[in-house]
Amino acid sequence: MKMRMKIRQQLKEGLFTRNPVLVQQMGLCPVLAVSTSLCNGIGMGLSVLAVLLCSSVIVALLRKIIPDRFRVLCCIAVTAIFTTAAGQLLQSFFPPLSDRLGIYVPLIALNSMILSRTETFAFRSRVDAAAVDGAVQALGYAMALLLLCAVRELLGSGTLGGGLLGAGGAGIRILPEGAGLRVLVLPAGGFLTLAVLIAATQYILRRMAEKNAAAEKEAEL
Amino acid sequence: MKHTFYGGIHPAEHKETTARKPVAPLSKAPSQVVIPLSMQPDSPCRLIVKVGEKVAAGQQIGQADGPGAPIHASVSGKVAAVEPRPYAGGGSRMSVVIENDFQDTLSPGCTPRSSWEALTPQELVDIIKSAGITGMGGAGVPTHHKLSAALGKADTLILNGAECEPYITADHRLMLEQGEKVLGGARILMRALGLDKATIGVEGNKLDAVEHLKNLLPTGETGICIRTLRTRYPQGGEKQLIQRITGRKVPPGGVSADVGCCVFNAGTAAAVYNAVVLGLPLTHRIVTVTGDAVARPKNLMVPLGTSFSHLIEEAGGFVMDPARVISGGPMMGTAQHDLSVTTDKTTNAVLCLAAGDLPAPQREQVCLRCGRCVDVCPMRLAPLYIHMYTQRQLWRRVEDLHAMDCMECGCCQYICPARIPLLQSLRTSKFEIAHRKGAEA
Amino acid sequence: MNGKHRLSAASSPHICSPFGTRSLMLDVLIALIPALCMAVYFYGPRALILTAISVGGCEFMEFAYRRLMKKSNTLGDLSAAITGVLLAFVCPVTLPYWIILIGDFFAIIVVKQLFGGLGKNFLNPALAAHAFLMLCYPIPMTTWAKPLEWPGLGISVPGAVTCAAPLSAEFMGSGILPDASLGDMFVGNIGGCLGEVSALMLIIGGAYLLIRGVIRVRIPLAFIGTVAALTFLFPQGNGHLRWMLYSLLGGSLMLGAFFMATDYVTSPVTAGGELFFGVGCGLFTVLIRYFGSYPDGVSHAILIMNSTVCLLDKAGMPARFGVAAGRRKAFWKKFRAGGKGEDAS
Repeated sequence: MKMRMKIRQQLKEGLFTRNPVLVQQMGLCPVLAVSTSLCNGIGMGLSVLAVLLCSSVIVALLRKIIPDRFRVLCCIAVTAIFTTAAGQLLQSFFPPLSDRLGIYVPLIALNSMILSRTETFAFRSRVDAAAVDGAVQALGYAMALLLLCAVRELLGSGTLGGGLLGAGGAGIRILPEGAGLRVLVLPAGGFLTLAVLIAATQYILRRMAEKNAAAEKEAEL
Repeated sequence: MKHTFYGGIHPAEHKETTARKPVAPLSKAPSQVVIPLSMQPDSPCRLIVKVGEKVAAGQQIGQADGPGAPIHASVSGKVAAVEPRPYAGGGSRMSVVIENDFQDTLSPGCTPRSSWEALTPQELVDIIKSAGITGMGGAGVPTHHKLSAALGKADTLILNGAECEPYITADHRLMLEQGEKVLGGARILMRALGLDKATIGVEGNKLDAVEHLKNLLPTGETGICIRTLRTRYPQGGEKQLIQRITGRKVPPGGVSADVGCCVFNAGTAAAVYNAVVLGLPLTHRIVTVTGDAVARPKNLMVPLGTSFSHLIEEAGGFVMDPARVISGGPMMGTAQHDLSVTTDKTTNAVLCLAAGDLPAPQREQVCLRCGRCVDVCPMRLAPLYIHMYTQRQLWRRVEDLHAMDCMECGCCQYICPARIPLLQSLRTSKFEIAHRKGAEA
Repeated sequence: MNGKHRLSAASSPHICSPFGTRSLMLDVLIALIPALCMAVYFYGPRALILTAISVGGCEFMEFAYRRLMKKSNTLGDLSAAITGVLLAFVCPVTLPYWIILIGDFFAIIVVKQLFGGLGKNFLNPALAAHAFLMLCYPIPMTTWAKPLEWPGLGISVPGAVTCAAPLSAEFMGSGILPDASLGDMFVGNIGGCLGEVSALMLIIGGAYLLIRGVIRVRIPLAFIGTVAALTFLFPQGNGHLRWMLYSLLGGSLMLGAFFMATDYVTSPVTAGGELFFGVGCGLFTVLIRYFGSYPDGVSHAILIMNSTVCLLDKAGMPARFGVAAGRRKAFWKKFRAGGKGEDAS
């Protein structure tokens, strides 16, 4: 089944209305685990982008050859290849980041968001469409991840850019020492913050839908 | 062994206004009486008099072909009409309107009997049936029905002298002033059931009645026993009375005969005595007219079919604006909007409450889950959950919570601090469940 | 006579009990006053100010949230005030004011209002906020002032004289009975949170609530009884009886048993459920105190049991009137089958 959508529409969906983290709530495990500082977020986001893009392209290229029953198996295999490559690259060029991300880099291979995009979309599309979709969804993922990281780090540790900016990688201190809500850096706080972000997204989406419905009604009259 | 019943509440009694006032006859007889053809809407009596016919007090005017009890004229006069009239239980019922001729001519059939001990139980039941006696304390089940159903099954006879609702003192005064009739009725009922023991349960707020009844019993009496019960509403409920006196629990959907008990109101026993010994059918009963809104609350001996407005005039009329007029007690009574409704066989009080006696109308608040309703429910239900599921219309869950066991005593709604209309939800859910059962059947 | 009077015709019952929601909440606040007075005696006016700020914060946040969300104003039912007082009671008196406001926010907005307001939260708001603050600011939350050395009234008081609480690692956390005598423990002349130190005043408050019929005796009895039994049977320090008494009087057991565990919204409504709840709270309290990393397990024990209330209610439903006990098995069978047969029709 070939799906043709306008790129702008896809971008809007991937980043906002069908954001993989905030709306579809897929691939949440690494999101919650690594989003304690901005640097981690950037690293994870870029890794996911690279892996999803490459996997989508390869799966789209191979889609005519792979039988339907081995669909999931092949998607995971392809994703695993690129995850391993990404992991090796991270370890060679950014060892401290790789240490901080820990086991969540190899786990990208099993990320439910990546699996779902490759299996349902890339498997049934042309290469260009798959590439766009992969890029856009991963951008949405990364954007949500960065947002969560920023909030958790800012309110939790009181710094911004830990691991990247600031003196000795400690990050720019914004809140006074000891004033941050330490729980936000813990997994419990990750759930809480994510919940608030998802609620805010739902609220905005609902308002947009109401406005559209009202505008349509007016157009009819 | 001392048993008790679960839960219950103890509202302010308000009985002191009328507890010491002897029962008085009406100072002015009613100009007309309106007698409904039946107390259950689906089984009316067949009329055996015609419009315009002259009737005597105590004359039978309706024949019960179905499960009901016959009706009698409570005053002598002329049958003015047979038409729908407002009914205290709600709506309107086909009723016989008799214009009083103020002669009080007694029907010739009402002759006293010299002795009744020789009568067989079946003959006693027939006399009770032809006297039109129904339960005078609750739903008004015809007494002959109850006796026939319990014959052979019941091993305990209980008389209900509890009168647990606030304000009402009708049964209290009956036991004090006509105690011999209550005891005599008890003996007749024992005979009709073939038992040799009976228990009369009286609440602890009527100790003078307990003493009086005990004094009336001959020394060494082994048959009738007077038990003082804890003053708690709804001690007078049939299931609660049985549980308190015998420890047995009526199964859900069952009747008291299922656990071998037969319960009659004290007033019913007195009416049985009147019928068997004095030959009088059920034409009069004691009604307490009380409440802050009437000038002179009193206990009155009232011919059946007297309008509420007449009774309120007897009690001196309204001394302040009445906010609510209730037939019965404040816990289970029916509020009236039309004061031309009349007393029937089960009306034991006309309660006129002023605005200060009623709870202030306040908005229902959110359920606090305080659990008081679960504590007070005599049938061991969980009203807060039934209410919650009724609001969401989850009827299967409501049924699983045994909402059909509810006896609508009102304890839950009384005690709820958030003023949630729990009884309303229970009634709604019972209706829905019965409706669904009927639809599925 | 007809038609001349305005008669209201509502359905029965036509009378109601004199207690309303507001009077119940007022009774709880009154019961907390003795403990507050003792706190002021031991820790100075800062105790009163911290409590006042906590109450004001809770009330303001509830008002602001309801206003923003265009819901009805529920300040009149005083439940936010009670949450404010209880939250202040489980915090040390030297806690900076801004930290307790953060706690107020979590208690009122996140735990209570986001779930639907009064009657809909599943965790005790004050205890959940206490747990939240323990995670966020562990040091300020475990720095206890020395009794009778009144700390200052500033926003934060770094220079206050501190001491260790009886349950902390220095004393009972390691199996050593504290220096304070039993009399001191009973009256409250020890280090600890604002409202938890004075067992005497809390018991007086609890007795008031029991007499007024605001709470039932089952939960406090089961809770305190279980802790007493377990600490008597398995003491970690010297002497069964002494260890048990110090365990009962130390920490926030009295506060938790009479005021927190008995919170209407988050405790079971059935008798069996309440007993089980109390026993469970006591069990977890002792387990956390003995094997956990927190000095006092009361608040977390109650939070754990709060999340089981739904199940406890189901299990504790009274037997159906008139049905023999043997038929309860049918109920359990159905319960285990997962409540099949439910529908939304």
